[in-house]
Amino acid sequence: MKTWLLLILASWALRCPAAAVEKLRVSSFSTVLTEIAERVGGERVLVTAHVKRGVDPHEFEPKPSDLKVVSEAQVILLSAKHLEGYVGKLQQSTGTRGKLVEVGNTFASLKIQDQDPDDPGHNHGKNEEDPHWWHSIGCMQKATKTVCETFAEASPADREWFELNASSYRKELTVLASWAKTQVARLPRDKRKLVTSHDAFQYLAKDFGFSIYAIEGISSGEQPSSKKVSRIIALIKAQGVKAIFPESIVNPKVLQEITRETGAKVGGELYADGLGEGAAATYSGMYRSNISTIVDALN
Amino acid sequence: MRGSPLLRAFVAFLVLLGFGVPLWRLTLAEAPRAPGMIAVQKTTPIKELRVRLDFTVPPTGLRVLHLGKEIWADPAPGLALERALILAYPKEGIDLLFQFNWPAEKLAAMRVRLTDPEGEEHEKTVWGEGAIAEVVSIP
Repeated sequence: MKTWLLLILASWALRCPAAAVEKLRVSSFSTVLTEIAERVGGERVLVTAHVKRGVDPHEFEPKPSDLKVVSEAQVILLSAKHLEGYVGKLQQSTGTRGKLVEVGNTFASLKIQDQDPDDPGHNHGKNEEDPHWWHSIGCMQKATKTVCETFAEASPADREWFELNASSYRKELTVLASWAKTQVARLPRDKRKLVTSHDAFQYLAKDFGFSIYAIEGISSGEQPSSKKVSRIIALIKAQGVKAIFPESIVNPKVLQEITRETGAKVGGELYADGLGEGAAATYSGMYRSNISTIVDALN
Repeated sequence: MRGSPLLRAFVAFLVLLGFGVPLWRLTLAEAPRAPGMIAVQKTTPIKELRVRLDFTVPPTGLRVLHLGKEIWADPAPGLALERALILAYPKEGIDLLFQFNWPAEKLAAMRVRLTDPEGEEHEKTVWGEGAIAEVVSIP
């Protein structure tokens, strides 16, 4: 009887090892990193997405409930490149012993390079990093590797599992990159000019040879000066730009003025700040939406 | 002028109104423009380029596309081929999409050598196996 009882207990324990093992607790402050963490970690991680889909990460501030979760997290994932101004407070106020990983700082930065029509190539004295690294699939590949390595260090027993999942996700990214190259190849190189309301596409521009002309500065909350609007109008006319891409332009009169003066059309919505809703709820969906919107509007 | 003062005043009002509409249009600061009107329309110069392809393994079903349109096709091109292409060639360069098939599970390479309108030579190499759809950017 005793032997039977032991055998039953042993078989039950073997059947559900996952339930007995505690999941790796991960706090993510980026919608894109949340997807990477979930794909790499699968069922062996518990990811808390502090920045939800569709939320502007430039405006996000952690709430007390976020701080409580962070204090218990084993891994904290941040976009970095100065996007999360609260990172110091996060460490101080939570006293977390979790590993804080500034994923974006593991690869090179691109600077905001707003092309001045009066002086092409000059960047208005700006020397800010573009924090929107996820618009480059190359950076996404590196970020996946970083997340995988971090998880494997935090939970060495699951290394093989994380590496297998990371490899599968990176293969998907490779297919996505190939699709994007084929799509952008339909667009003549001399038409690759992006006029946006939010200077967030330096990484995408570098990958595909676009020039960026931002109506606003780095923050989507900024308002353009009338001098800058005049410059943008002159530039759109001179370069023959066919479409502009407002993201969350604060003053619709500015947009109207530009389209009326230049004849350029409004090119559709681009997802600059991470994952959104609907088709843009996944990285692949967001990236495909951005590429299709740009190519269709400029072609 | 005959007629009642009321009628004369009405006629004068209509005349002024007739002049007023074109005057208003002329003096409107933000005159509406036709959609799609752009002050400067740049045209890309059409130029001749020479393209040479060398394969380590002969491909099948070669197609070369430029801006989504097929510009060159050869069902069985062999190990090397060369052709002159007449294309719009902006100073920023061009992208060519190469589609063809190599035997699966055998890594092979294609070298693309393009001589641009200024006579400068550009070289790119594509590696792969099976069905290939690769964009080659020049320069």
